[in-house]
Amino acid sequence: MSLFSLLSVSASGMSAQRTRAELLVENLANSETTRTPDGGPYRRKDAVFATDSPESPFSSVFESQLGRPDGVRVAEVVVDDRAPERRYLPGHPDADKEGYVAFPRINPAEDMVDLMGTTRSYQANVAAISAVKDMIQRSIDLLR
Amino acid sequence: MPLPISPITIPAPVENIARAMQTPGENRASGEFRGVLEGTIQKIEQTRNQAAQAVEGFLSGDSQELHTAILATQRADLAFELGLQVRNKVVSAYQEIMRMQM
Amino acid sequence: MLDPLAGRLEQYMDLLSARQKLVASNIANADTPGYKTKDIDFQNEFLNAAAQIAPHTVEARGLAARNDGNNVSIDREARLLAENDLRFNIATNLLRGQIRTVREAINEGKGA
Repeated sequence: MSLFSLLSVSASGMSAQRTRAELLVENLANSETTRTPDGGPYRRKDAVFATDSPESPFSSVFESQLGRPDGVRVAEVVVDDRAPERRYLPGHPDADKEGYVAFPRINPAEDMVDLMGTTRSYQANVAAISAVKDMIQRSIDLLR
Repeated sequence: MPLPISPITIPAPVENIARAMQTPGENRASGEFRGVLEGTIQKIEQTRNQAAQAVEGFLSGDSQELHTAILATQRADLAFELGLQVRNKVVSAYQEIMRMQM
Repeated sequence: MLDPLAGRLEQYMDLLSARQKLVASNIANADTPGYKTKDIDFQNEFLNAAAQIAPHTVEARGLAARNDGNNVSIDREARLLAENDLRFNIATNLLRGQIRTVREAINEGKGA
């Protein structure tokens, strides 16, 4: 197992964080969406990560026995199935008989913070790739 | 510079170099010139095989670290260069001896 | 000729590579529920380094876990990332110097 496998690990991290970022951005954009094609208000989505050994195009079959490194993948996208938030707005076009409108259960501040965290994690993965590239380059310099 | 007329033994520098190339603990009958030369050649072959193996390991599926393969090739190169220099020295010493009027 | 110093430097680089791989895994799993930070006991592994034996992966100590069980500290991993890279850099430079010295010694006697 070599340093090159690290590139796949960090790439998987970047991919997973980007998926999560996309979901968070979708949440923020739809934090006030009261009607969706499926009916009802928008429901918050999030990504659940799980450890996973990434495939590297150059790795041999042997490598799979010896302890593959831990990458990450999006195991599932969970949709918030809690009851939506109900606000009393009798004049609203989506109001029900009692004058309540169902709004998404989204706290934009929370999702903003999550988005910042995701961005930071993404950048950390990028830094890891940069560091290993440097180490590989130093190894090559031994030939000079 | 003519060599002193004495029994042809292994010149001290060559012997020292040959000893440096061997792993400690290895025993070798001193004074056996051919033995020293063959042992040295074997060592060179060994390092080159190790280098080839290490590079193969790296290329065919990353089972070997890159720096390991590179260091192995450097070791092989150095052993080879040393062997070359030793050979040149031995050859020139031989020629020197042959040139001496008996 | 190159050894024993070169051998030790190579072992040092092996361990740094192993550690860096774990750092990358920790970073990739910074948001994975239940994931525990992995590391190697660098000092011990280096002192007892035998050739070609893979170092033992252990759980890093002293890290606080969040609600979902994950205890990865991005700050810690970022610091280790930089440190491993730097140390690797030092080792390769030392090795390059070694190789150069030996090569010069070999070629010194060329003209004599």
